[in-house]
Amino acid sequence: MHAPTTEPSTSSAAGPALPGSIQVRHLEKTFGDARALWPLDLTVDPGSIVGLIGPNGSGKSTLMRCLVGLTRPDRGEIWVDGLRLTGDGVGVRKRLTYAPGEMGVYREMRGREHLHWLLRGRDRAARERGQRLAQDLGLPLQRRVGTYSHGMKRQLVFAAAMAPRVPIRILDEITEGLDPSRRTEVTEVLEADRQSGTTILLSSHHFGEVDRVCERILFLQAGKVLEDASSARIRDRAARLLRVVWSTEAEAMTYLDSLPSEAYLVKHRRVHECVIELADHDPRPILAHLKQLPGPPPLRLQFGSTTLADLYRDLYGVEGT
Amino acid sequence: MGREIKYYAIYGLFLFAMLEALLYAAIHWWPAFAENMGAMKALAAPLPILKDQINLVDKLGAPAYVAGQHYFKACNILGSTAAILFASNAIAGEVHRGTFEVWLARPVSRLRLFTERFLLGYAAIGVAVLLSSLTTPALLQTVGTTMAYSDLVRCSLFQTLFLGAMYSVTYVFSAVSSQPLKIAFVMLFFAITEFAIYMVKTITHFSIFRWSDIETYATIIGRNELDLQRVGVLLLIQALAFGIGLQRFLRRSP
Repeated sequence: MHAPTTEPSTSSAAGPALPGSIQVRHLEKTFGDARALWPLDLTVDPGSIVGLIGPNGSGKSTLMRCLVGLTRPDRGEIWVDGLRLTGDGVGVRKRLTYAPGEMGVYREMRGREHLHWLLRGRDRAARERGQRLAQDLGLPLQRRVGTYSHGMKRQLVFAAAMAPRVPIRILDEITEGLDPSRRTEVTEVLEADRQSGTTILLSSHHFGEVDRVCERILFLQAGKVLEDASSARIRDRAARLLRVVWSTEAEAMTYLDSLPSEAYLVKHRRVHECVIELADHDPRPILAHLKQLPGPPPLRLQFGSTTLADLYRDLYGVEGT
Repeated sequence: MGREIKYYAIYGLFLFAMLEALLYAAIHWWPAFAENMGAMKALAAPLPILKDQINLVDKLGAPAYVAGQHYFKACNILGSTAAILFASNAIAGEVHRGTFEVWLARPVSRLRLFTERFLLGYAAIGVAVLLSSLTTPALLQTVGTTMAYSDLVRCSLFQTLFLGAMYSVTYVFSAVSSQPLKIAFVMLFFAITEFAIYMVKTITHFSIFRWSDIETYATIIGRNELDLQRVGVLLLIQALAFGIGLQRFLRRSP
């Protein structure tokens, strides 16, 4: 669908990766004493839309910056659209668009001028598409960017990232600061783009949004992939989550210790709240076990109504929305 | 690129306007200065360096006066300030403003971004110095004297190289830092100190402005040629600074 631009100066080596795909092998990055990425392997298939979820400092932005050549990894290989990333990655950046998560703007520039500036190195058609998209998003392009709200600035960057016809888009926290209606518009644009065969890797704190848009989710924490699963599988996990709230910590501990191992996959406790991922969707055996326990009954039980955000908070102690 | 050209053109124009205004004022007062040369010498007597300068003007006339007023005073002071401000803001300013990542994220090589910005700032200074110098003969005619364009071009070229060295060194700091204001303060303090010690006879030889004083330009005018040894040193400083800055810039993470 998209014609990739060739950039022999960056790399002419034929890679193992497919056009439109992203492949990462043993990627490592440290900043001083802090390890941002542990040896990390990742494959994003052509035409798929993959979400990166994780708390602040989990390595999402570092990974994305490595993919576009803005941060040099200590070790590892990156292949983007069949091209191996070397040097400063200009060849790779011609084959993808990138919207950074943390960004400033030139406040003195007008919206249209800034959009064109963001689209430097792209063709005229990309500038026209960017302008159309920005107008569809309701951005006043004649106004100075300094008068834009935070959400409007993000939309400007989003319009610039969606405008060029490239096989891959890497979008870091693209809906951060947007109101719910704008967020919906953005997800619709992403969905339409995916339908046209573009590969999208996006990061977000918004579990619900990732759940809605992405077909696959990678959960990062402290530079490691904690989980790499399809959206459907993660929703299935969330649906098997049982939360039992006790009045004391001791009760919660006793309850968790007493659980038969065949009844659950993961168990976790936060003070006097127990979270159990059941082995299947039938809570009756574990509820029967609960009934047999001596002592007072739990204060509250919750099953089947867990959101993705709850899942990660409950299992990994990570907050999201 | 359009944004950068526009802003550096504005900065360059502003520098040109200031240099031109000072040059106009200096040339306007040349007859009064020449008439009162004796009083000037008496006034400068306690300051040996200043006395030497006035003696040189007395000996060589208007060209030495222009060298003193335009190159030594106006270009050295305003040009150094401009060079420091342009360079300190060039890269560190992007980091400070938060635009560094989005600046790098476009499909443009870092070598190109670094070189473009370096050359634009350099050109803004050089063109302002050259253009203001080229108006000198016309201004001098209003006071009944003149200067050769070739001398002015040579002096402008040397002045640009001198300021370019200061610009390049500041540019290196900009390539590694995220605090443009701090860089500017440190470099301006350095430049002011260097300018101040120029006037102190015992330590004047530690001043970098010995390389861009009346004597330097009077020699260029007198010999009708540039001091190639000094030109080489200035070019070497710039090449080294450019290389070091580029190497750091290529490895810099947003």
